[in-house]
Amino acid sequence: MLVLDQINRGERPLRVVAVGVGLGLLVLAAGLWQVQVLSGAKYRQRQETQSFRTVRVPAIRGRILDRNRVPIADNQPRYRLDVYLDELVPQFNQTETLLRKQLLAARGASNQPDPSLWQRLAAKFSRQKRKPAITAEERDLLKRQARYQVVSGIIARINARLGLHIVKSEADLFQHWRQKRALPFPVIDHLTDIQVAILTEQAWSIPGVELDQVPVRFYPNGKLAAHIVGYVIRADEFDEEDRAFDYRLRDFTGAIGIERAFDRQLRGTSGAKSILINSSGYRHRQGEIVLDEPRPGDNVVTTLDSGLQKAVESSLAQVAGDERGAVVVLDPRNGDILALASAPTFDPNMWIDGVSAKDYEPFLDPKMKPGFNRATFGYYAPGSTFKIITALACLDAGVLTTENVHEKMRTLGFYRIGNDTKKDTAPPGEYDFRRAFIKSSNAYFMDHAMKLGLERLLAMGKRFHLGEKAGLRVGEEAAGLFPATDEVRGGGSKSYLADVSIGQEITVTPVQLAVAVGAVANGGTVYWPRVVDRIEPADILSEAPTDRIRGGQVRDHLNLRPEYFDIVRSAMRDDVGSDEGSGARARVKDFAVCGKTGTAEVKKGHVLIDKITWFASYAPFESPRYVVIVMVESGGSGGGTCAPVAQRIYEYLHDRERSGTAMGMP
Amino acid sequence: MNAIQNQTAPRREGMLDRPLWAAVVGLMGIGAAFIFSATGNNEIARHAAWFDFTAVRQSLAYAFGIGIVVAMCFVDYSRLARWSLPAYWASIALLVCVYLFGVERLGAKRWIDLGPIQFQPSEFAKLAFLFALANFLSRPVGELASRALFVKALGMALLPFALILKQPDLGSALVFLPMALVMMLVAGVPRRLLLRFLAAAGILVSLVLVDVLFAPPSWRFVRLEEYQRHRLLVYFGLDFAPAGASDNERIAARAEQEKKSYNVKQALISVGSGGLVGKGWRQGTQGALGYLPRAVAHNDFIFSVIAEETGFFGSIFVLSLYAVVLFSGIKIADQARDRLGRILAAGVVTLLFTHVFVNIGMNIRLMPVTGIPLPLLSAGGTSVVCSLVAIGILQNIHQNRRHY
Repeated sequence: MLVLDQINRGERPLRVVAVGVGLGLLVLAAGLWQVQVLSGAKYRQRQETQSFRTVRVPAIRGRILDRNRVPIADNQPRYRLDVYLDELVPQFNQTETLLRKQLLAARGASNQPDPSLWQRLAAKFSRQKRKPAITAEERDLLKRQARYQVVSGIIARINARLGLHIVKSEADLFQHWRQKRALPFPVIDHLTDIQVAILTEQAWSIPGVELDQVPVRFYPNGKLAAHIVGYVIRADEFDEEDRAFDYRLRDFTGAIGIERAFDRQLRGTSGAKSILINSSGYRHRQGEIVLDEPRPGDNVVTTLDSGLQKAVESSLAQVAGDERGAVVVLDPRNGDILALASAPTFDPNMWIDGVSAKDYEPFLDPKMKPGFNRATFGYYAPGSTFKIITALACLDAGVLTTENVHEKMRTLGFYRIGNDTKKDTAPPGEYDFRRAFIKSSNAYFMDHAMKLGLERLLAMGKRFHLGEKAGLRVGEEAAGLFPATDEVRGGGSKSYLADVSIGQEITVTPVQLAVAVGAVANGGTVYWPRVVDRIEPADILSEAPTDRIRGGQVRDHLNLRPEYFDIVRSAMRDDVGSDEGSGARARVKDFAVCGKTGTAEVKKGHVLIDKITWFASYAPFESPRYVVIVMVESGGSGGGTCAPVAQRIYEYLHDRERSGTAMGMP
Repeated sequence: MNAIQNQTAPRREGMLDRPLWAAVVGLMGIGAAFIFSATGNNEIARHAAWFDFTAVRQSLAYAFGIGIVVAMCFVDYSRLARWSLPAYWASIALLVCVYLFGVERLGAKRWIDLGPIQFQPSEFAKLAFLFALANFLSRPVGELASRALFVKALGMALLPFALILKQPDLGSALVFLPMALVMMLVAGVPRRLLLRFLAAAGILVSLVLVDVLFAPPSWRFVRLEEYQRHRLLVYFGLDFAPAGASDNERIAARAEQEKKSYNVKQALISVGSGGLVGKGWRQGTQGALGYLPRAVAHNDFIFSVIAEETGFFGSIFVLSLYAVVLFSGIKIADQARDRLGRILAAGVVTLLFTHVFVNIGMNIRLMPVTGIPLPLLSAGGTSVVCSLVAIGILQNIHQNRRHY
């Protein structure tokens, strides 16, 4: 071998040279082994760290659909105008050179006299360039200026074309350059259709400017079901999963309602892409690698019916005055929520770009609270609508029986308990159960409650799970105030018992009341209400399973004899059907609506400050399919304010049934 | 002599040292290919004319160098050696010219401008010195024991050394010391003189290093350019900030250090990220993305590019090609006809080896950063032509070797 020959043979000095050269090459080989093989992974890692930036790409948000798959929350393409800084680097450099020359010229003119002939000759001869009199800081500043000049020029061209007056501050650009250099600089976030048309029809020639399209949440029906569906806001904080990313593209998170409760499923799985960046930190040409495709969010199919929801909202809006109220429409056969409205309401679209101060102002009004879901989160004294439950408690306890319901009781227009006198809105006279119910006699129900006792009354309420959340699974839910006997201060006075029997001193949410009325209508089954039917994959053809939320889940049985229900149900029918009934204004031709009105008083001390008016109902009498609860704050009376709202809703439902477009299966 | 060689077939076959030239051609091919890899993308993007491509210019330099080698082989090296002293003094004159009228690049004056091309006299000086010293030492062995002669020989090395140090080009200057040492060793200069020289040089170099690295500014006797001091500080991993620095100075010094260690760090990342098999020709990212600065990727740091794209296997292959060249050189020295040939060949081997060792060493942080090119691979006309001339000298000695 060439190598060994030279080390072993030859003259001594040459052997020394050969050994030296051999050792030197071995040292190099060992060094290369160390760097490339032993530490190769380390250096590869470092190389990736310095030349890749990972970007989290949000998935398309799932849609929220009604039971007939009509979208309530959808996505619409939105066009934005971005400036890609990496494509402008040559322009940056040109401008910087220009600025530097200007600066030097300005300096040279002021500081240095004309060089002498000899100096000029010497300079030419030595070909030595004079060192530029510019410090590194000045150079950075010049570069910064140059970048801003170029980008401003481009924005000016965009303005000229679109007739806009966009101004981006130098600080904005610098911050973007420093933190997100590899990403495009956003100029216009939301282009109108006309602007998109202008930009696409003219030959597109501004360098570095591109039209980017992103899908953004859109509520096609505006206010429709805004409270229960919810809205999204920009997600700003990084969560744990995001820490591995250098950049994150704009993403949204649900703020209330279904958007929030099912945010995880709607959001899907964000993807990741990796941008190759050069040593100046700019995106490298063709340097985007998609690491993970984002997986679109699942669709949430609700039990709501858009048509009904529209009718409900417009019916509620027709109430004169402040329009603070709520409506719940529920299917008593399985607890499905068909419509759920709260007033006043708002347009969820306004949150997407960040809400303006003017738009936000109503949200600060402590009385109106448009963002507040009164149907699930508001709790109110049920007033006389609670007499349905008081009646069932009396029947169950034997205080009322199938016989004594016909016995008449003489009332005085008030009811006296010890020193306390309770008003009665029903005129004095002879009342049997039916008449007491439809004219809503307080004296009759208080008198029977005295025989019943507080414990049995509250126990009946508990059977309807009052005082517990109805269990809609959408976040904002109140439990209401419904104590057990031992929680009542001092075991409860007679006055307290009288108040509870007519629905004062306790509170319920409209949804709780809907579930309770549903249980009366269906013969004693307390269902878990349900507003979300299923979570299905965005791609219907995909193999991914659909997550169904079982409908008609029974929470409890009332275990009351059917004849008790018959007594109460026919009283409810008569409340609407009979001319002297308080709910007569809810009557619909050929559609037997059954209901109970209520007007609860909100007192501060002994002063009446507000009234909560109710109409709790179901229809039709023969085979109940709908429960409608109407609640209006500061209304006149249950029969006067709320019954007409219910009437319009039943008209709609009845029309629909007649025209054969019954509620489809979700 | 030539007549005798031409008479028999085997001798004619032995005219060309085949392994040597195979390795040289291999290196030239690799050089052109990877210079294209390092510079091509950028030049394509710039729409450069084909003759402006660095790889094309490098190939032209190869062709030119081969032409000179062919021409040189018609003249016996002993005849060439007669011109060594004038050449030596001419090179000294050129170095003085550089000092007076040279072109400055990156703070160092190393080039003379000849219109379309620029010429680096320090490369030429190495060859002239090679011939001059070999010629000087090829006298009878007995005379070499003289101290006066030894001092003269040393002086011959120190004159260009000092001039090149002044450019400043510490790396190229230092190449003269091992060349002088090995040539004297092979010539038969007594070992005690060499050891004394080695000891003196060692002490001198350590004193200089200590002075440069640790002494406060007012105590520095050796005036190095600041960037040279920084390179040494980077190599030894020392803090830029002086001992009594304030916090602000320390922060500034750290930033400076970060900047100055940049090339070394990126070269190391390039070589290391190549791994075992590399990323493939023109697939390296370090140069394409500009992490390995464009100004140096194709010349001083070409080995980083090769190592990144061909991995450990490729690096070792390049190293093996150099091993073939170097050991062929030693074999040629061994078979040389006379002492001149042997000393000359040993000098060439030392010259090439020093370049290879320092340059590759610098790419893997084994050596401090100096402007020493990698023979045949680094882009640069003067370096290529001089390396080929050096190898041409080996060829010349080989074809005029002694016959058994």
